[in-house]
Parts: sequence; C-alpha cells; structure tokens
Amino acid sequence: MLILISCFLLFAGAFALIVVNAVQPNARYSWLVAVGSAILALASVLIWLATMPFDLVLPAWQPQTLFANPILFRADGFSWPLALSITGLVLSVLLTAVARSAIANSYTWAGTLALGGFGLLAVTAYNPFTLLLIWCALDLTELVTQLRSVEGPSNNEKVVISISTRALGSFILLWANIVSIAQGSAFDFQYIAPASGLYFVVAAGLRLGVLPLHLPYSAESIVRRGFGTSLRLISAASSLTLLAHVPSGSLSSVFTPYLTTLSIIAALYGCWMWLRAPDELTGRPYWVIGLAAFSVVAALGGNPLGAVAWGCALVLTGGVLFLASVQHAWLNRVLLAGAWSLSSLPFSLTASAWIGNLGFFIPFVIAAQSLLIAGYIRHTIRPSGRDSLDSQETWASKVYPAGIILPVALQFLLGWVGWDGARQIGAWLQAIIASTLTVGLVWATPRFRIFNPVRGNWARPAAPERGSVYNSIWGLNRGFGQIVRAVTDTLEGEGGVMWTLLFMILFISLMAQGTP
Amino acid sequence: MSAPIIWVLIPFATGVLILFLLGERISPLIAGAVAASLAVVALILPIDTAMLLGTISVKIAPSIQFFGRTFALNTADRPLLAIIYGLAALWFFGTQASGTAHRFVSLGLMIVSLLTASIAVEPFLFAALLLNMAAMLVIPLLVPLYQRPGRGIIRFLIYQTLAMPFILFSGWMLAGVEASPGNIGSTAQAGVMLGLGFAFLLAVFPLYSWIPMLTEEASPYATGFLLWALPMFTAVFALGFLDRYAWLRESPQFSNAIRFAGALMAASGGIFASQQKHIGRIMGYASIVETGLVVLALGLASTEVVNIVFLLLVPRGLELAVWSLALSIIKRKAYSLQFSEIQGMARSHPAAAAGIILAHLSMAGFPLLAGFPPRTALWQELAGQSLATSFWAFLGLIGLLIAAFRTLAVFVMAEENKAWELNESWTQRVMLGLGALGLFVLGIFPQALQPFIASLPALFSRLSQ
Repeated sequence: MLILISCFLLFAGAFALIVVNAVQPNARYSWLVAVGSAILALASVLIWLATMPFDLVLPAWQPQTLFANPILFRADGFSWPLALSITGLVLSVLLTAVARSAIANSYTWAGTLALGGFGLLAVTAYNPFTLLLIWCALDLTELVTQLRSVEGPSNNEKVVISISTRALGSFILLWANIVSIAQGSAFDFQYIAPASGLYFVVAAGLRLGVLPLHLPYSAESIVRRGFGTSLRLISAASSLTLLAHVPSGSLSSVFTPYLTTLSIIAALYGCWMWLRAPDELTGRPYWVIGLAAFSVVAALGGNPLGAVAWGCALVLTGGVLFLASVQHAWLNRVLLAGAWSLSSLPFSLTASAWIGNLGFFIPFVIAAQSLLIAGYIRHTIRPSGRDSLDSQETWASKVYPAGIILPVALQFLLGWVGWDGARQIGAWLQAIIASTLTVGLVWATPRFRIFNPVRGNWARPAAPERGSVYNSIWGLNRGFGQIVRAVTDTLEGEGGVMWTLLFMILFISLMAQGTP
Repeated sequence: MSAPIIWVLIPFATGVLILFLLGERISPLIAGAVAASLAVVALILPIDTAMLLGTISVKIAPSIQFFGRTFALNTADRPLLAIIYGLAALWFFGTQASGTAHRFVSLGLMIVSLLTASIAVEPFLFAALLLNMAAMLVIPLLVPLYQRPGRGIIRFLIYQTLAMPFILFSGWMLAGVEASPGNIGSTAQAGVMLGLGFAFLLAVFPLYSWIPMLTEEASPYATGFLLWALPMFTAVFALGFLDRYAWLRESPQFSNAIRFAGALMAASGGIFASQQKHIGRIMGYASIVETGLVVLALGLASTEVVNIVFLLLVPRGLELAVWSLALSIIKRKAYSLQFSEIQGMARSHPAAAAGIILAHLSMAGFPLLAGFPPRTALWQELAGQSLATSFWAFLGLIGLLIAAFRTLAVFVMAEENKAWELNESWTQRVMLGLGALGLFVLGIFPQALQPFIASLPALFSRLSQ
C-alpha cells in the first residue's frame, strides 16, 4: 500500500498541476504544489524502511489459467535505494528549477512528477511482466514528449530509432518469458529459468545502449536541463532495475564472458567520451552508457547489489551534476562529494560495486572507473557556462542549494543505511587503485592534449568504426529487402496462382511424409 | 419470433433497405444503431426461455427451417452474437468518418448476417456455402461502381471459391471416416482436403498474396472490414470442425500441421511487412500475422483453445477498425499510401497517424495495447508445447514491430519548423480517440472482455474438456 501512496502522491501532484495550469495559468503556487507532492513522496519512501519488505499485488488478469503472473510490486533492499534515488532526483529537479533561466512551466514539472511515479513503479516491479508494462508506459511517454520537442527530419528519426531499440529490449524481455515457460518455470524473478537470465542482461543492455554499444538518446541537446535530466536518468534507472534480478544460475553460460567483454568495451568507450566531453550535458549520454555498462558488468559478475549501487550513482551523482546550473564556490565543493560516491571506497554508495567475480576484467574496470571519476571532477570544477547564485532572487538563492545538497546527502545516506549494499567495505584495494589513477588523470587532463575535450557533435555521435558496422547492417537489410521483394513479386505476379499451388503441393508432400 | 430471424434476417433486410432507400448521411447511423441494438438484445434477451412483458408471454424460438436446412441459435451463442454485432456496429459508426461510400454499410450488414447464418446453419458444412456467398458480396464492396476489379480482388474471389469444394468434399469424406475410424488412408485424405479448404479460406502461406494486393488497390476501410469479418467467422467454423471430430483434435500430425502453417504465416507475414514501403500493404501483412496467430491457437493441444482464439479475435476487430479508418483519412489527403507520399504527415494529421501507429503496435503485441494480453495467453500455452514454433511466431511480431517503427519514422520526419495542427474532422477525432482508448483499455484491463468470452467455451464443449 505504501508503494501506491508514494506513486499516488507523485501522480496526484502532476494531475493537480495540469488542472491548476488549465484553470489558472501562471498561478504562483504551482511550484509549491509540485515541491509539496515531491517532498511528501520522498518522505513516504523513507517510511518504507519501517515495514520493508512488502508487496503490492493488483488484481490478476482473467482468465487466470492463461495469465499466471499478477501485476506485482515489491519494496525491498533492491528496490528501495533506487526508489529513494528517483524521488530524491524529482525533488532536486523541482528545487533547482527556481534558478534555471530556461522556460519552465507547470507542464514540465507535472511531467517530472509523472516520470517519477512511473520510475517508482518500474524499480519496484517484482516480476518481468510488470516491469514490461511499466517500461512501455515510460517509452510511450518519452516518445510523445520527445516528438513534441524536436524539429527536423533527422532529429525526429533519431527519436524513433532510440525508442525502437528500447522497444526491442522490451521484446527481448518478452522472449525471456517465453523461454522460461518453455523450460517449465514461472516468469517470476524468484523462479525464472536460468536460461532466461542472460536475456535479462541483453534486454537491459539494449535499452541502455550498452549491448550493442549505441547512443539511445542522440537527440539529447534539445532536451532541457531539468526535465531532460529526469527523463534520461529515471528511464535508465528503470532499465537497470532488471539487472538486480538476474538469476545467478544463468551466469555460468558460455556467453557470459562475451557479454562481459562487450560491456567493458562500452564502459571504456562511455567513460572516455565522458572525460573528453566539452560539458556535462553534452556528455550525459556517455555518462549513462558508462554507468549502465558498470551495472551490467556487476550483474554479469554475480553481484546484483553492485548493479543497484551503480544505478543509484547514475541517478543521484549524475543528477546533481546535470542540475547544477549556477556557479558557486562552496556548492561546487559539495558537488565534488559525488567523486567519493563513485570511488567504491569503503562505506561509499558504490562500496558494494565490485564484490562480485570479475577475474581477468578487473584492470579494465579500474581503468574505466578512473576515467569516469576524473570526468566527473573535471565537469564539476569547470568554471564557465553557468550563472552566478548571487544574481538569483533571495528566495531562489536559498532554495537552490537545497536542491543540490539533497542528492549529495542521499548518496551518503545510502552508503550507510537501508539496504544490503550499505556499510560495505567492498573491494577496497581496487577502489584505492582506481582513486589513485583518478588523481593522476585529473592532474594530466589539463596537461596532455589527448585528454582535451572534443567538440560535441550530435549529428554524428557514433565513432567511425561503428558507422561502418551500421552501414554493413544497413547493407544486409537492403539485400534482404531485395529477396523479400523478389518473393512477393513472384507470388503477386501473373504466374502467382501457379506458384502458390506449387507451394501448396510441396507443403502437402512434406506433411504427408509425417503421417503414418 | 425466432433467433435466426432476429440476428440473420432482420440485419439482412435492413441492409437491403438501406441500399435502396436511405441516403449517404443517415445510413451509417441506422446501420450502426441496428447492429448495436442486436448486440444489446443478444446480451439481455434469453433464447428459448419464456419472458413476461406485462401480461404478454414472449419466447424467442432457437431455430427455423429454410429450404430443408435448420438455422439454430441457442442461448450459448448469445455472447458470440453480442461480440459480432458489437464489433460490426463499431465499423458502421466509423463509416462516415472514413468517407467510405454508403453501400458499405448496407452490404456490410448483409455480409455480417450471412456470416452469422454460417454459424447457425445445420448441417454445419453448409457454412462453407454461406461463407462463399458472403465473399461474393464483398466484391461490390471493394470495387467502385463502373470500374474494373483489380487483380487482388479477382485472386481473392478465386481462392475463396476454391475453398468451398474442398470443404464440402472433405465433409463427405468425414462422414466415411466417422463410420470407419480405423481407415487411416481415408482419414489422411479427408484431413488433406479439409486442410486445403481452410488454407484457402484463412489464406495461409502462400495463398495470402491477395491480401497485400487488395490493401494496395481497394478502399482501406472496406478491406479492413473484410480482413476482420471473414477470418473471424472462418475461425469459428474451424473451431466447429475441431469440436465435432475427435480424430481431428486428437491427431498430433494434424495439430503439428496447423501449428506449422500458423507459424509460417506469422513469420513470413511479419518479415514481409518489415520490408514494405506502403502502409496499406503493411496493414495487409499485419492481418496475415494476426490470422497466423489464430491458426497457431487452433493447433494447440490445450483445453484453452477457445479462450485464446476469442481473446485474439475480439481485439483484432478494434485494431483493424482503427487502422483502416486512419488509413482512409490519410489516403484522402495523400496521393498514395507510399512512404514517399506520407512523409511528415504526423504533423498535419496527428490523430490519424497516432491511430495507425497504435493499431500497428497493438497487432505487434506491444504491451499496454489490446494485442498484448492475447499474445501473452498464446505464449503461455504455446511455449510449453514448442519453443521453435514460438520463435517463428515471435519473429513475425518483431517484423511487425520493425514495420511500425519504420512507419512512425516516416510519419514524423517533417521538414524544419512545420507546426503541429489537427486537420481531422471532429467525427474523425472522436472515432479515432475512442478507438485508441479502447486499445488501451483492452490492453490494460483485458478482463473487460470476460463477460463476453467466459461462456464461449460452452459453445465448443468437447474442445474445452
């Protein structure tokens, strides 16, 4: 019931904002309504701790003989940190909105609250069937939002491509269901067949742009800082939640090392591009890819806690950086605390990140992690491109810091309480090596040209070699299309009837061989 | 008054009257109201049970005799009649919004009544004749006055007509099989004859070539109606066969053959759809995939066959209605339905574009939409019986998904700074909006169909045991 209350608070807030905007446009209390519902939602998620774990089961579809899985949500040690991160991000987006010069209105705040509600439902979904429904709700919401905000054929096409890869990810999850049923198992996180587990990883990887490596959010530059941040990060967190439920039995598959290799490549690529991105918003897709790849690697290493930890870091650490639109010396120092959360040092948010079995891949993971932290530090201390806090109104200059401090505080909180990943020593030696490398990279970044920022180019985000891969796929598709056209032309042409009868005779002959 | 008169003769006569007496504007409303009334009557009035209306006792007789044949509709048929006429009402109300000629509603009513008669006729083999008569009536529906029929229409007629002798001949042979079930030779021959008959009727691969041809050359709305009505009644006819002949439903070879045909239809339809550049043809291929799934469901060795078949058939009516209505709106504005002609039209006709995409995604089994629950139910039974068959059917749905996103990309690729504007009329917006709402309602709350579907297994009692 508490899950329902938290979601209700967010959805009700969104609904109230829409009504207020329709009845009384430019109402001065709209922001208060939005912030009020976000604060209540955050408080309600904190209350979950008192009664966890608990379930929310919605009435099953009929007939029950055909729909075995109910729509089920659960608050537990895996979903709570992500739920807290999402509600924290929503509140932070609204608190920092006061300082943003970009046009912000009730509709974007309503959108942020609604996204938060969907995000909560996604991270608490306790069977793949429920998760699939929430994913698709998020995808449709994002599709409509994006299509309304982009211009030009190319950007519109990119939006459709990004949504289609995510829909394909959802269908892979559906295929995992089919495989699980074929093996005689339920489509439930607890009892799912091990053979389905790797499909979970592929589904999440595809939705996040990790497997295969691609930029699912290439029309990024058009989306605004506030709503855009919640859209990107909540959507990513909703996909990551699946990784926390990969059955351990499925990780002994022969494909696991290949998937891990691909994920490490994605992590290295994402973190390298993040380090070299000209600014944090341009680098946001690489941030998502880098952290999502870490999450996938942790899941493949048999460490679901690590997948959750990286998911929380993606939302909270990334969120606070992307929302920081105002320049202020001590707030920048607060932002630097995010580097601690990414370090996987003991008692940090990501302390549990690498307690799984990574073996041969450890050096690559350390390299990617240090690139990520160095990039984070570089973007945090980057001096230009932001307004000053002093130029804001008095009340805004009081509220805005709260929006920055809140996610940082939540990062520290999650390092200590509320879930199995809290108060962990973790792989401390690995963390120390990564931190040392990070210090070296931060020192080297302004001194060596190779670390200098590259120009953001949203029209061609792909690396050259990836372009050739995609060209090959396109070429294959063209060839396949020609074959299909040849077949349809034959069947629909003048001799089509004769061809179809010939096929029928062949079909009957084949069937007749099977009869006694 | 008897049930066949209410649900066969009255709609047929109404169709004739509308054709000759009523005008363009009022006929869709009259036809829709008649169909909706028949659906409501089917829901509330019992058959073969006396009712007191004040002091008058009324009883609807279940059957009548006609040229020595019996037409019977029983209490168990009521949910089926409600579904048929409810969906038909939806089609008729949408006629005006689609801009289709008024003879659509009159011929449509006649077709639905003939198809209903095919459910009612005894001996049930005569249903093949009635299905063929309905197919004949489809021709004036598809061909505009004073125009020569296209190749798709001619091929449709050829295949539907070829189906009839195979079905009738198999019926004659089946009587022999029932008399001597041990005769494997005649059993196999009857099975092949029956299979061929249904292959033509349901347009299995490669006999479906007329469908994309028809969706390319004929009115989208009339074609959509045909693609809903004929496979639906043929599926009910096929369920009747399976229910009646134990050897058919218990033969693993026959089940395998049905499943093979269904998987081949679904896979090939989806793959072909993914490569099309004409949104009308894509709708044709999507209906082929959908029929393939129905055929797959018919081949399941399960007591849930009837439930799954009807779970598939009901949303199909809504999906095709929304899709073909939206296509009609687009076709009136664009020169053709080729990708090159419709590029960027989402900005000028957002409701129609959204209707096409939602209906398309629903047929691809996208979660939250009407097509998802029936597919989930199908996987639940099919995956346990054959993962390979599930894979091919799943591949077909992936093909449809690719086609949906290709269509969406073309629709939204408008030139820079083109404003969003609603150019659809109010009627069109309301019809499309209600249709889209229906797709979501059936996708999120499929139990809404339970009052109609729950008692349908009683119609095919042996199949459900």
